Amino acid sequence: MSYYDIDSILTDAQKVPCTFELDVPSLGYLDNNPGHTLKSSTRVDLPLWLAEMLAVSGASSKTLVTLDLPPSLAPRVMNALKADPKSVDIRALAQHFYGLGARILELFEEEEVCDVLMESWRVRAAEISDHASNAGQGQRGGGGVGAGDGVEFLRGLDEGERGLFRAQHDSSKAMRVWMGEVKKG
Amino acid sequence: MALPLPPGLTPAEVAFLCEMEMVTVVPRQQLKSHDLLGGPTPALRPPHRAPLPLWLALLLKRQRRANIVPPPWLLRSSLERILKEETEISPTAFSRPPPHPHAISAIPSATDHKSPPFLASSTADAPSGHLPYHWLELGEILLQACSDDVSEPDKVRTLLRDLREVRMAKMRSITKHLEGGGVVSLEGVGAMEVAEGRQFVVGVMDGLRKLGASREAERRRREEEGGSGDGNSEDDDMEMEME
Repeated sequence: MSYYDIDSILTDAQKVPCTFELDVPSLGYLDNNPGHTLKSSTRVDLPLWLAEMLAVSGASSKTLVTLDLPPSLAPRVMNALKADPKSVDIRALAQHFYGLGARILELFEEEEVCDVLMESWRVRAAEISDHASNAGQGQRGGGGVGAGDGVEFLRGLDEGERGLFRAQHDSSKAMRVWMGEVKKG
Repeated sequence: MALPLPPGLTPAEVAFLCEMEMVTVVPRQQLKSHDLLGGPTPALRPPHRAPLPLWLALLLKRQRRANIVPPPWLLRSSLERILKEETEISPTAFSRPPPHPHAISAIPSATDHKSPPFLASSTADAPSGHLPYHWLELGEILLQACSDDVSEPDKVRTLLRDLREVRMAKMRSITKHLEGGGVVSLEGVGAMEVAEGRQFVVGVMDGLRKLGASREAERRRREEEGGSGDGNSEDDDMEMEME
């Protein structure tokens, strides 16, 4: 993860729910209440980078905010992923779903979430690879495969999985190009 | 991205490396020995076979000055045997690469580290029934350049296609068994297949590593503390005995 990596910046910009533990003067605009004090135990969605700083950097025993699990990693989603990883529209949950998951796992100890995420990454990767290596071949055959059943699945990929799709598609395309060149001689 | 090319080799680069492989030719004309960077080529005298690098053999073939003898593994019988092994005998593993021509013993020798393309795995006296490192690209190139020298070229081409399909499916299923930072045996996988699968497999591994990073760190920390933890329990036992 480089400092200028746009994907890691966007990952850190995703919102996570937080609960304020202290009253903060004149921060009420975060809760649609400008000019007033932000009361303690208010729930506000903060970007991950800010929430992490506020939650972890408590000098005293009392921290400013407490973090909660984001809704995209809620038990409901985990159960859906456990049941069938391929049927979940991950992109609708979070654009950088796995990135968010990895960052959250650094903060929370959630053995089960870690297992579920790794398993669904693996299962979905196999599916992605099948789609990616077949996508171009169908087009070359002249048929519009675009309307196939995979479209729904491919639309639900998060950014990391799109990267995988692109990688696989590019390398199998390079392979086909080379084979075509060999034939031409 | 500064470089437009992904890491690893492109198919064209792999094919270029493959042209260093030695193949056996039957010359039609005399040709005296040439001093190449890789050493002098043998002098060609028409009825005698001679080993040449693939690129030179292709050049001579194009000029109709030599015929290429296809390697024994590129015969129909050999390919059928390999295909059977890939699909029926061991449907999950890749078929084994050809045995190392210089037997590897307990005493280290200079030949232990020789690897393709410096091993003659595609000359006429190479072993059959094994796919060498450059099988895919060599097969494609030979079928293209000298299909008249290969016996039953159409059948061989179909068999090569089948083998490629079977092995690509295996390559894809590798990712299902990957653990974060796990080790997968790629024994017997050809250069072109590595080049094709590299980006995807590396991407999957990297994703798994990232997801498992926090757990890994946690385990490390626990292992480091583990030593002191054991000591404590021993102390407890000691105290129990004392009582």
